Amino acid sequence: MSLTTSEHESTEDGEHHHEYLPAVEGAENPGGEHESAGERDKKERLMIWLFIGGDLVILILEVFAWFYLRTLDSNGMWNAAKCTAAANCVDGLGNPLIGPVPKASIWHPMIIMSLAIISALFVWAAESASRRKAAKGAVSGPALAALVCMIGAIVVQILQFQVLPFTTIDGGYASVYEFFMGSTLAHLLLMGFILTGLWTRAAKGRYQGGTFHRVRIMRMFGVWIAISTSVLAIVGGFFV
Amino acid sequence: MSIATAPLLLEDTPLGPKAGGLYRRQNALVGLIAGVVLAAIGWVISHALLQGSNWGSDMVVTVTLTCWVIGFNIGIGTFNAPFRWVVGKDSTREDELYGAGVGQGAARYWKYCTDHKVVGTQYFVLVMVLFAIGGTLAMMIRTQLITAHSSFLSPGTYNNIVTIHGMIMIIATIIMVSGPFANFILPIMIGAKDMAFPRLNAMSLWVVVSAVPPLLATFVLGGVDTGWTTYAPLSVQAPPAMDAFAICIITFAGVSVTVAGINTIVTVSTMRAKGMTMSRVPIFAWGSVVSAALGLYAMPAFLTAMSMMITDRATGTSFFVNQLGGAGWLWENVFWTMGHPEVYVILLPGVAALMEIASTFSRKPVFAYKAAVAAFVAIASLAIMVWAHHMFTTGWAPNLATPFMLTTELISIPTGVIFLVLIGTIWKGSIWTRLPMYFLYLFLWNFIIGGVTGIYLSDVPADQFFHGNMFTTAHFHYTLLGGAMIAATGAVCYWFPKMTGRMLNERIGKTAFWFIAIAFQVTYFGQFWEGFQGMPRRIAFYDPIFLRANQMSTVGAYFLMLGWMILLAAIIVSWRNGKIAPANPWHAKSLEWKVQTPVPLENFLVDPVVTSDPYTYGEGVPDGQNEPSAAPEPELVPVGASESSKGEGAS
Repeated sequence: MSLTTSEHESTEDGEHHHEYLPAVEGAENPGGEHESAGERDKKERLMIWLFIGGDLVILILEVFAWFYLRTLDSNGMWNAAKCTAAANCVDGLGNPLIGPVPKASIWHPMIIMSLAIISALFVWAAESASRRKAAKGAVSGPALAALVCMIGAIVVQILQFQVLPFTTIDGGYASVYEFFMGSTLAHLLLMGFILTGLWTRAAKGRYQGGTFHRVRIMRMFGVWIAISTSVLAIVGGFFV
Repeated sequence: MSIATAPLLLEDTPLGPKAGGLYRRQNALVGLIAGVVLAAIGWVISHALLQGSNWGSDMVVTVTLTCWVIGFNIGIGTFNAPFRWVVGKDSTREDELYGAGVGQGAARYWKYCTDHKVVGTQYFVLVMVLFAIGGTLAMMIRTQLITAHSSFLSPGTYNNIVTIHGMIMIIATIIMVSGPFANFILPIMIGAKDMAFPRLNAMSLWVVVSAVPPLLATFVLGGVDTGWTTYAPLSVQAPPAMDAFAICIITFAGVSVTVAGINTIVTVSTMRAKGMTMSRVPIFAWGSVVSAALGLYAMPAFLTAMSMMITDRATGTSFFVNQLGGAGWLWENVFWTMGHPEVYVILLPGVAALMEIASTFSRKPVFAYKAAVAAFVAIASLAIMVWAHHMFTTGWAPNLATPFMLTTELISIPTGVIFLVLIGTIWKGSIWTRLPMYFLYLFLWNFIIGGVTGIYLSDVPADQFFHGNMFTTAHFHYTLLGGAMIAATGAVCYWFPKMTGRMLNERIGKTAFWFIAIAFQVTYFGQFWEGFQGMPRRIAFYDPIFLRANQMSTVGAYFLMLGWMILLAAIIVSWRNGKIAPANPWHAKSLEWKVQTPVPLENFLVDPVVTSDPYTYGEGVPDGQNEPSAAPEPELVPVGASESSKGEGAS
């Protein structure tokens, strides 16, 4: 490989790669990284897309499991629809089971889905504010609103576990539905963590100085969380 | 030409006493203690609350080992950065330098170090440890099989060992190239200062470290006697060791490999040196990226499968329990969605490394470079469409057997292209037969056998006979051990001087090679023989008609292990006392050979600008005179490349 040497390339910030930057209050991660905002943005956006790609595989397999077991209806135990007293059906602990297993409420997943979507919209608003270099309250306000929505979604998801009309041992439908709930909760918790960071950092003014791209990747992930939550809510709610 | 005044090396930067913050107090020992303490707390609480309830033992094991993984990673420092980020604290440049190991000497190898070269070296040692454990288990298996009714192991213990041998080897082979070389070598090769996300890079390493103890804990938790494929319902009915197994896989596949794959793809996509267009990227980078992309498809599937299994076991769901609305076929579908692509996740980086070796030691460009890249992509694309060939004998979807047979057999076309690329590269080259080339030749021999026997298994009628018998065992050992691992060994021999600063002792290495090359054939031809006779896999006792073939295989295995131990000795001896390596002992052209050895922090003191492809051997040199020793050094050498290495002959 032929190569030549060059002096350090100036970054978009006008700094040189090998110079040590002192920590500067108020800028996003000022001293820890020595590459331009554009370079970081490119890397982080691709990372988020790849992460979403991996998560998409999980989502597809979850939905596949739902429809596969629903179609197979192995031993008539998808939702025990034909399990009468005479049929001698049993649940996972060997107790008699008379079907059909009641459906979960449609409202919980719909509320969670709505909150996830609203949360993503608030992150979008925070990104817009950061992009136009608005006052820090214009970023941290929507960030806090997004966080509150996400906490609301988490609470509703936990509450749904308490009020489910079935348990894990009640057949295929109950199994996959509760797996959906667990998967949704894990995603919501992860997004809640990210939104906490967005809010605390926005409140410190970290997203004022042309660093909107950092909010953008959170928005991308927030949109993905809204999409995956919606898919699971719709499949679990309408395709029993 | 070199620039006379080199700037201060980053590793010599004086750091303040508070640089690094919490990282200063964290290392592997702290991780171990934190993991054990949190696991103990998890056990006490879960035992008090859950033991005695339905699936209590499974829940206790799951909670305890999850606590271990979390505790270890808290102790080593995995969570420092995310939690600092979430409270709005940023690391300074000093913190970053401390994190990269500045001023810590050898201690940085026991810490959450972000320097990609340290992570690569840590992976290298981890892989050797895993192979040592997996190899020892293999010897126990072969010892059991040296007679028809050996009492060396009980049948249950034998089955447990077969499972854990398989899983450890799968983990080790997945990371054996992508761990050491895609970390240490790849960023330098493309002209980058580090991986795209150094902290995630360190995370991928330490998460694997935390995943191994749960796997080994299976031996004291009742064992996993299902084979590494852990088919349901066997796995749902297995002892609590199965929970430990699942925790290991969720941690390893769901976190480590996924994160590492993302890091590799982003690094190559966004951090290449100026002038390094995609057609100038070294072929090893292509192999690593395609493998990582395929892993990004496969590993989440493994995570999903294991998550479903652990909920079946610990919470009473019934994904894989037929009488309760589940299906064993669901497991097989989801598992093999991961299982077959995973073979190519293992294979592609090793093959790509061999292409580098072939080019360097033949003094020729990689033959049909674009066809090689296309073959990688084609293999990866087809690999996700073949999973059901593992299910021909299960009765699942018989109508799909023919399509899956065809897609599987189609893979032999791009695989054949890879063979042609390797052979075309060395064809009429000025071949310099050093140790890495030995392993290239061995790969060609082994992989042709592994590939051809694979076609039999992709054929539905033939598979009815061979499925689940020792022919299959011999086949996949020819591909994974004889192919991928031999390729990885070639890569070790090739990049050892750059990674360690020492030349690998070739005399000992060649001795090891001949043991490995011959003993491998004896071992696995023995297993083909067993397979043709109809001997099933995974049995501790067998009919005496299989005795001769088993004895042949076991004797071969002992010598094979001896060969690996000799190679390990060569590595250890050379690493400690080997001859000092020049910066570019092979007179290779790619960027990793243009930096000084040892490679400085952030690799390049001056940013390289690439003006040609990495395989410009023979340009301007008359035919027949392109001898290795005459290979010209680049006109311009980045600052830091030692003057003494210029023009130095090969040792």
